[in-house]
Amino acid sequence: MNDRQGLAGERRAEPDSAFVFEGNWREFLPIALTNLLLIIVTLGIYRFWAKARERRYLWGRTRFIDETLEWTGTGKEMLIGFLLVILVVAPVFFGAQLLLQALAMRGQGDLALLIALGLYGGAFYMIGVARFRALRYRLSRTYWHGIRGGSEDGGWGYGWTSLWKTIAGSMVFGLLVPWSMTELWNDRWNKMSFGQHEFSAGADTEGLFHRWLIVYLVPVGAIFVGLGLFGASSAFSDGPPGDGAAVAISLFVLFIYLAFLLASLSYYAAFYRQVVNATGVAGVEFEFTARTKDWLKLILGNFGLVIVTLGVGLLFLGYRNWSFAVRHMEAVGEINLDTLLQSPYAATGDAEGLADAFDIGAI
Amino acid sequence: MARGWLYDGESAVRREVEAAAEGAESLRLDLTEGGRVEAPFDMLCHVESRRDCEVYGRMDVPGWRLGLFHDGAERLIARMPRKQSYGRLIDRIGLGPAVVAGVLFSALIIFLGFTAPTWLAPLVPMSWEKRFGDSLVGEWGGRYCRGQGGQQALEKLAGELSPAARDLDIRVVHAPLVNAGALPGGHIVIFDELLKEADSADELAGVLAHEIAHVERRHTTQAMIREFGVGAVVSALGGPAGSRADTLLAARYSRGSETEADSDAIATLRRANISPLPTAGFFERLGRDEAKLGRAASALSYISTHPLSAERRQRFRASAEKGHAYRPALSAAEWRALANICASDPRRGTDDLDFF
Repeated sequence: MNDRQGLAGERRAEPDSAFVFEGNWREFLPIALTNLLLIIVTLGIYRFWAKARERRYLWGRTRFIDETLEWTGTGKEMLIGFLLVILVVAPVFFGAQLLLQALAMRGQGDLALLIALGLYGGAFYMIGVARFRALRYRLSRTYWHGIRGGSEDGGWGYGWTSLWKTIAGSMVFGLLVPWSMTELWNDRWNKMSFGQHEFSAGADTEGLFHRWLIVYLVPVGAIFVGLGLFGASSAFSDGPPGDGAAVAISLFVLFIYLAFLLASLSYYAAFYRQVVNATGVAGVEFEFTARTKDWLKLILGNFGLVIVTLGVGLLFLGYRNWSFAVRHMEAVGEINLDTLLQSPYAATGDAEGLADAFDIGAI
Repeated sequence: MARGWLYDGESAVRREVEAAAEGAESLRLDLTEGGRVEAPFDMLCHVESRRDCEVYGRMDVPGWRLGLFHDGAERLIARMPRKQSYGRLIDRIGLGPAVVAGVLFSALIIFLGFTAPTWLAPLVPMSWEKRFGDSLVGEWGGRYCRGQGGQQALEKLAGELSPAARDLDIRVVHAPLVNAGALPGGHIVIFDELLKEADSADELAGVLAHEIAHVERRHTTQAMIREFGVGAVVSALGGPAGSRADTLLAARYSRGSETEADSDAIATLRRANISPLPTAGFFERLGRDEAKLGRAASALSYISTHPLSAERRQRFRASAEKGHAYRPALSAAEWRALANICASDPRRGTDDLDFF
């Protein structure tokens, strides 16, 4: 703190200290339990307020440099956002469903198929838009030093980008998925801002393709190895396979599942390090340090917690995931508070309704 | 003296302030760097409690945040707005009463959900349902069977069972399913595989009487309301917990109205002087086929939509009067025409029969 009052001026983000999570599970437990109780007795309607309460706690216990974050989204606005989208989306899909049934019963199968394909494409487009708008909403309700984020873009263009890049990524047997995922990360974040500063994201696919190939090759390899083993065992033994073979097959399948889980985790770990490390805003560059073993610990911990607590642990998954993300977030650089001004972009009213409608998981 | 800090919601700079009440209406904030800000009390809200301070916001200025350090500000903090935790409404009435109110509210919603279709269904004009049903069903893509004399026999049988059958549209449809069903708008369909399974018109009479009862009792309307009305609202709003309640409603519905339709069918058969025993026998045979083929026999879909419990068979069997002279539902010639309605249809085989 080198300035006169110790209040204005530059804030230096240092590795190992820029992001700190200060919550603890004993503080969170009463929030989680009362949320569950109220969700049950309101037939689920309270879940919007529950989410707002949970985020208010998690954001408020997350310190960035010298000040905690603040979540200002409300349950009411999330409910309204959800209802708005339901009122628009539901009649379209409901009407289309009736139309499809009517066409199918009249034997107009081809037309029904065409309309179904159109709907599928439309839903795919809307999922892109929803992902964009959910991110924008979360930024617009996240305050730090009284300043919030946002975007001037509505995400309608991003929907098309997302549609064609996802389709292009799935070409060539899905080998281009790392390309489409990093591209879409950049496309989203380059349209976001905090205060009057734009985010910049320039992630590339370095180090991602070989991990993706492994994810891809595990099932293919498994089939070949499995066929090979089967062929070998039936060549050497006459008579039906015994219990030993059944055990061997079960172990083999289990092994394949674990290998697939590990390969996917290793890809996602690398993906998040890659994209977050290429993202920055207002003079600060972010970093994400979670390695495959950290993700593995998180996921096994989540599983274990839910199983040991007979499901009550589900209440804590949001908490665990958030604290995991914060503990592995770092930032380097300097923010000049004197020039960090309020976001000029209006915050929208649809909250995460669209993402909710398409069941896209959010934090 | 109450000390604190202020973000004005315009810039990220945190300013030191000294706060004091200015009369009853507003709060005066003197900035250490010079200058003064006023904020009306009724525009303030509590945002969060921190270890060293309480944080307040201004409802009319997003991002405006005032922190008041606990030390020295006790009296001022007592005048400031209270902490919010569960949401405004619940904070006002308290968690306990809110839970009780919630339980009552849920019970009411579930009760309405259970009963609404039953009392709403008769209020839906038949003409609406007819239009909806016609647009849904159409002509089954030309799959109605029109074999010589079959439709007349079918309509005669329906007429014997119910005087209102004239308004119904009862058809035999060619599809590889052992099933029959009532659809919105008074459409009743019988798949020809079910006809093949039946040995006589008497066996079919019970099945047909059951479907006619579904239409007359407006069970199809109820099902529509439940499916698209209450069900849609509950499952959309309620999320996972809601959709489970929805399943419960549907399960309870089908059992209740199936029993009702059976009672009606039994009464109908008695009125028409047709023996209920062949129907009971038919159910028994289908049940045995199911046991033979196992649950996977999807072609026997009648069983999955109309559970063939021993209790159901027993009801039909018990309703037979010993020694009573019943009459056959149709003459042998009429039954032959009906049973062959698809096989003898001259157009059969010309249209796309692989649809299902």
